Amino acid sequence: MEGAGRDTALEVRDLSRAFGVRKALDGVSLEVPSGAFLSIFGPNGAGKTTLVKVLTTLLNPTSGAASVCGLDVVAEAVALRHRIGLISHNPLLYPDLTAEENLLFFADLYGVQDAEERARELLEAVELDHRRLDLTRTFSRGMLQRLSIARALLHRPDVLFLDEPYSGLDPHAMDILDHLIAQIRGEHTFVMISHDLDKGLQLCSHALILASGRVVLYEERDALDEAAFKETYRATVGMGVA
Amino acid sequence: MDGLAWRQFKAILRKDIVMELRTREMVTSMGLYAILTMVVYQVALSEAGASLDVRLVMPGLIWVAFIFMSLLGLNRSFVHEKDQGCIEALLLAPIDRPVIFFSKFTGNLLFLLVVEVLSLPVFSFLFLQEQQGIANPVWMVGLVLLGASIGISGVGTLLATISVNTSGRDIMLAVLFVPLMYPLLRAAVGATFAAVIGGPASAALFWGWMAWVAAFDVIMLLVAFALYEFVIGA
Amino acid sequence: MKRRPIAEVMLALGGLITTAAFFMAFLWAPATVYPDGRINFSQKIFYFHVPVAEASFLVFFFTAFYGVRFLMTKDRRYDVMARVATEVTLFFVLLTMATGILWTRVEWGVWWQWEPRLTTYFIMTLLVIGYFVLRNSVEDDEKRATYAAAFGILAFIDAPISFFITRWVESIHPVVLAGGESSGLEPPMLITFIIAQVGMLMLGYAFYQMRLREEELHERLEALKISIGG
Repeated sequence: MEGAGRDTALEVRDLSRAFGVRKALDGVSLEVPSGAFLSIFGPNGAGKTTLVKVLTTLLNPTSGAASVCGLDVVAEAVALRHRIGLISHNPLLYPDLTAEENLLFFADLYGVQDAEERARELLEAVELDHRRLDLTRTFSRGMLQRLSIARALLHRPDVLFLDEPYSGLDPHAMDILDHLIAQIRGEHTFVMISHDLDKGLQLCSHALILASGRVVLYEERDALDEAAFKETYRATVGMGVA
Repeated sequence: MDGLAWRQFKAILRKDIVMELRTREMVTSMGLYAILTMVVYQVALSEAGASLDVRLVMPGLIWVAFIFMSLLGLNRSFVHEKDQGCIEALLLAPIDRPVIFFSKFTGNLLFLLVVEVLSLPVFSFLFLQEQQGIANPVWMVGLVLLGASIGISGVGTLLATISVNTSGRDIMLAVLFVPLMYPLLRAAVGATFAAVIGGPASAALFWGWMAWVAAFDVIMLLVAFALYEFVIGA
Repeated sequence: MKRRPIAEVMLALGGLITTAAFFMAFLWAPATVYPDGRINFSQKIFYFHVPVAEASFLVFFFTAFYGVRFLMTKDRRYDVMARVATEVTLFFVLLTMATGILWTRVEWGVWWQWEPRLTTYFIMTLLVIGYFVLRNSVEDDEKRATYAAAFGILAFIDAPISFFITRWVESIHPVVLAGGESSGLEPPMLITFIIAQVGMLMLGYAFYQMRLREEELHERLEALKISIGG
């Protein structure tokens, strides 16, 4: 952990996560620099979600260690939670609250100081300020996803986790999401789980393929041979099915 | 940090109250359930006729209604956290798990008490009018309501967190909740009976039962509180 | 691994001892008599019923104990132990209920009476059954283990409270082991009882160990399957 200075966003050392004989993660190690965009690929059951859950402190590792922003996922979980945000395919919003109430609620949970101002600012950024007094149950899928981005950014996190944020979005909503991610790209480190190979590759600076809880491939985007990468990916997906 | 925990507690409680005022899901369903139970009681007791002293059975029947009514409310209280995955967002926030427990517990207690306080006068209006009513001061019944509702909400909040993650939510909560509630229910019925019937020994009996209620509350609340962190994080 | 043969030894010994106690109960221990002088034959069930009941409480303790251990370590083995302990509890609980009901039928003339100890025991049966209903309705292994541990602990604390609260009002169930004049066990009766109790606990231990081994074998099979598949 000594070397984990300011410019390492994620550090994972020999991380395993098992319950009984089933190993969801099996000796995963990787390091992701600050400001990077990591895309995680892999077949179903490869351990992508488990890895993100460990990194977001929702699950504890069985062995090994992981830290985010230099904070240990077990020992410094509460401090770590202040520094991360999650955008999932689930909006994680209360349908019976208005857009603004939702944001103010989460602002309270994170102890955001200038809550009202921050909420208004973010509602403007995701172009929902005209709907801020409407219940989110009346929102379309795309609007919900935009609001959920605002929710994830409320407390100004350093690392943003995206769990298949594009799934279920129509092309227009996808464009808006692309645009939003491009806007905030420089200020955060991103970790994205993706089933969409092209989309994931297009956005990422680092690419990771997991299969059966192990790292199959981890490379920087620039050093990546796209054809070979896709070949490896197909091989692992095939493996996962068999 | 303590200031933040307090702010989080208030935020969750306020959110639950706002949502309840908006949808009236819990209070309406619980209240309707209480009224329907009274109708069923009327039918159930209809053949007993004048020979039955309703005052002897009402303290027990009230708690039958309340325990099943609370099952209904407790189930609801976690369904909206679960359905949109909001519970994950709660867990992701820098919030100590006990804060979640206490705010959900307070909310459940509040809704339960509201329905109980609203339905109790209707109960006594429908069933105890021709009798002498409640022999001892009414605050004694209030005290039983409060004491038992604390236990119901405490254990119920923990069990509802479990049952919302199981298949067959509603029946699961009942299967776990009712046998665990037996001691509390027994004491609550005893205390209510003592308060309603009165008599020379009733005060001693009442406080004896209330001591049981208090003991159950303290023990079970502590255990539920200790277990909550594990259960909600699972 | 080393403890393995103990289970077989305990099973054989426990079987032998409980059988011996059974014969002792009928042939050696003096029969009690009613006030009117008739022989109280149904009292013989005491040598079976009470040891089984006490074994059930003891084994249920391990449900809670391994539940706590599991929550502290998140080690799956403790979950298996807690579950196996609860299985043995269920077995003893059902035996207790069955023998108890036979006795109440003969003594009190009814199959069932809402009497403190019976009520408590009924609640405990429901709690143990609830434990398994809960286990069966959770998909995820770790969630299942955590919920079962939590419920096992709550249930184990709840059972004594129900026991004492029902005794707070008058009880008509015989209090056998309270000491004092009412217990009145003659030495041969006491010895027979103790032997039956020891035998029953040995059986309980043997059942537990053997079920546990079965589970571990199952586990190893799963591990092998996975290692072949991966």
